Amino acid sequence: MTQPSEPVESEELLLTAGPAKGLWRSAFSRLLRRKSGVAGLIIIGFIVLVAIFAPLIAPHSPTEDFIGEPNTTRRDPPCVHLLGCDEELPEHIMGLDGNARDQFSRIVYGSRLSLSVGLSTVAIAFTVGSTLGAIAGYWGRWVDNVIMRVMDVILGFPALLLAIGIVAALGPGLRNTLLAIAIVSIPQYARVMRASVLSVKEEEFVAASRALGAGGWRILLTRVVPNTLTPLVVIGTLGVASAILDAAAFGFLGLGAQPPTAEWGSMLAAERQQIFSAPHLVFFPGIAIMITVLGFNLLGDGLRDALDPSLNE
Amino acid sequence: MRKLRTLLVLLLAFALFAAACSDDDEGSTDGGTDSGDDGTGDDGDDGTGDDGDDGTGDDGDDGDMAEFEGKTIAAPDCDYGGKVSSIEATDRYEVTFTMCSPVPAFRQIAAFTPFGIQPEEHLEASGGAPLDNPIGTGPFMLDEWNRGDSVNYSRFDDYWGDPAPFEQLIIRWAAEGASRLLELQSGTVDQITNLGPDDFETVQNNGDLTFIPVANPNVLYLGMTNTTFEPFADVRVRQAIAMGIDRQRIVDNFYPEGSEVASHFTPCSIPNGCTGDDWYDFDPEAARALLADAGYEDGFSTSIYYRDVFRGYLPEPGVVAVEFQTQLSENLGIDAEVVVMESGEFIDESTSGRLDGFHLLGWGADYPHVTNFLDFHFGEGNPQFGDAHPEIFEKLVEGSQIASDDAAVDVYTDANNAIRELVPMVPIVHGASASASLASVDNAHFRPFGAPLFHRTTPSDDTFVFMQNAEPISLYCADETDGESLAACQQVVEPLLGYAIDSGAVEARLATDCVGNEDATVWTCSLREGVSFHDGSSFDANDVVVSWGAGLDAADPLHVGNTGSFDYYSYLLDSLINPPPAE
Repeated sequence: MTQPSEPVESEELLLTAGPAKGLWRSAFSRLLRRKSGVAGLIIIGFIVLVAIFAPLIAPHSPTEDFIGEPNTTRRDPPCVHLLGCDEELPEHIMGLDGNARDQFSRIVYGSRLSLSVGLSTVAIAFTVGSTLGAIAGYWGRWVDNVIMRVMDVILGFPALLLAIGIVAALGPGLRNTLLAIAIVSIPQYARVMRASVLSVKEEEFVAASRALGAGGWRILLTRVVPNTLTPLVVIGTLGVASAILDAAAFGFLGLGAQPPTAEWGSMLAAERQQIFSAPHLVFFPGIAIMITVLGFNLLGDGLRDALDPSLNE
Repeated sequence: MRKLRTLLVLLLAFALFAAACSDDDEGSTDGGTDSGDDGTGDDGDDGTGDDGDDGTGDDGDDGDMAEFEGKTIAAPDCDYGGKVSSIEATDRYEVTFTMCSPVPAFRQIAAFTPFGIQPEEHLEASGGAPLDNPIGTGPFMLDEWNRGDSVNYSRFDDYWGDPAPFEQLIIRWAAEGASRLLELQSGTVDQITNLGPDDFETVQNNGDLTFIPVANPNVLYLGMTNTTFEPFADVRVRQAIAMGIDRQRIVDNFYPEGSEVASHFTPCSIPNGCTGDDWYDFDPEAARALLADAGYEDGFSTSIYYRDVFRGYLPEPGVVAVEFQTQLSENLGIDAEVVVMESGEFIDESTSGRLDGFHLLGWGADYPHVTNFLDFHFGEGNPQFGDAHPEIFEKLVEGSQIASDDAAVDVYTDANNAIRELVPMVPIVHGASASASLASVDNAHFRPFGAPLFHRTTPSDDTFVFMQNAEPISLYCADETDGESLAACQQVVEPLLGYAIDSGAVEARLATDCVGNEDATVWTCSLREGVSFHDGSSFDANDVVVSWGAGLDAADPLHVGNTGSFDYYSYLLDSLINPPPAE
């Protein structure tokens, strides 16, 4: 088996040498040695568990309201009996929202939406962007020109504004939000992939495959692409964080998930007027967004460090 | 012979001279209107205004009577569908409104801000669009409009009434209720509008602030375009929805104290507003049975459209929309998607009857008469709820021609019962709302109809700052409908009549009164004398005719405005004169 050559630096991210399997195993062990990466892993692991087991964790349905219940009014502050809240009051550890729904349950269910939006958009952008980047980088010439000029045009627009334009054209809603964020994220994956392919395709093991008569697609898929994925993994991890933030921004603007869906950004927007009278209603969704984004950012940073041999030993 | 010929020539010359002198006199009467007007204005400008007003008052009146040439606008005939036949300046200080049919609510209409009076010269000079430079007779003169920030006024010292006790008025705006309250609490503004329901208690418990209840009659309703979109074409579906919504739950949980479940579309504080049977009781079983009869046993899918704009009848639009969504689902099995729309688009689409689901909208009274609620919404020409029902609009036409409230009881009872039976919409709540001011402001108030009369309040210093929801669209309120624009205009431009500070009673403003004939088809307004506009010109009947004509007559060269639609003129008076051909 031909060995990949030395890593090539691209947009601050580094390709690494060695067989793919060994690379990931050693990268993971290096990740576990970095505190920020471990913290990110723990946070994300926790949020993933919360999302998976939401029906078991949340005490109520996210759409169930408590209007008319005794000792209950809309926007009740958090009540935790263990912390001294009156036993006669119903326990809602993050309080009730403007429609008298349990805020904690909505936060818990909201994690499903945020994670799925983040991962789905990155999956779409990663797949489409890296495919286009790989084709552009490997075949070059007019294919490269056409693809990369289209990417340049997309990059020419401020990402969030372009996404808002796309949602305005397609109509508000979670699916369209997801699509819009994915579309505006495609160019960055395409650019990084193209840069990686441009360097890897000149390596000797690629030339050897070509000399042995392998076809273009075969070389691209089995020799080039596997050796270009590491920077994309880092970008993808960080991309999940920015996708979650974008989705929250769309929710805040009323363009994302529609009521009564529990989504952190729209929860924040619905109660923004109550920032002084019921601060818990903006505090908890804000904290949820912050922690999730922090988790992905820490993991992304950790991965970048772990996959960068120059930072190891 | 020669002497005789000379004598004849002299006689002829004398006769010609005499004739010429006689023509000159008549000519001076014709042309004297303008010169007289100019002269009056010049006198005032030259600083002899007092003399002119006082010293030459009687003389001037006699002279003015002879010189004044009253203007008139008139409809070609009464077939155009509107209420106004003609408006004539019958005297320098008297205007006569002749109607095509009885208009018992004329005084209330004439007291409404869009019918404010500006100098005819100013309207002409501004091409019929004094959008940011209104001139009126009000207690404040416009200094400048800092777009995006504030509108600044200064006191008009020659105001005909009691001048304001402070020098400067500033109107600012903030869309967020929390921001407005924060500004008030920090003392940077003196009064705010539209207190959020959750802030009532905060203000009431703060000794530095004054809580001001606003008694503006209003209604929130759940509209349906009932003849255009399925399944709302079926009256059983509409009745099911009327029974399937727990309105008491909405009022109890989403509205401040003082709000009440709507027994009728029109609040009971309006005469004849709530005659007839009360609205349906909440009965989800009967509602589901009706839905099943109509073939919708499992409900159906639709949308709830609304705009995210704070109003007294809908203080928390998003939250209330979700509550409707919940109730429709739980009580009737109706799956409704909540759709928030941009405000202008929402108003256009809903009032044109183009929304295919429910729409959450309301109405705040412009003037205290039942026609203001019923005629606009259920009149023959309004497509908002689909094709209008003759059972309703025929009664409304009948009622609008009855001068006495007592005599119209039976008609409005029938109209209200027909609305209940046909359910073009579901009236939900008459919402309570409130304003707040600094405790240091004396006589802070918020009128039931229209913005506060700021010149009757006394702040602690020489500047009064008022904060409202939004920036005015323009300051020419003949062609605006939003409350924020009307509040800003109203400080400068006054109508013939006005509303009292604490009720819907009509008071004198530029007219000392408007008196109708027995069948309310002719209204004669006696105007206040000695009133000056902010530009120094004198107010007279022609200013009234020209100001009304600019709004009402679509063929008038001054009928320009902001959008050119002059909505209040066309809807309160049924139609513009010389309306443009329908597209």
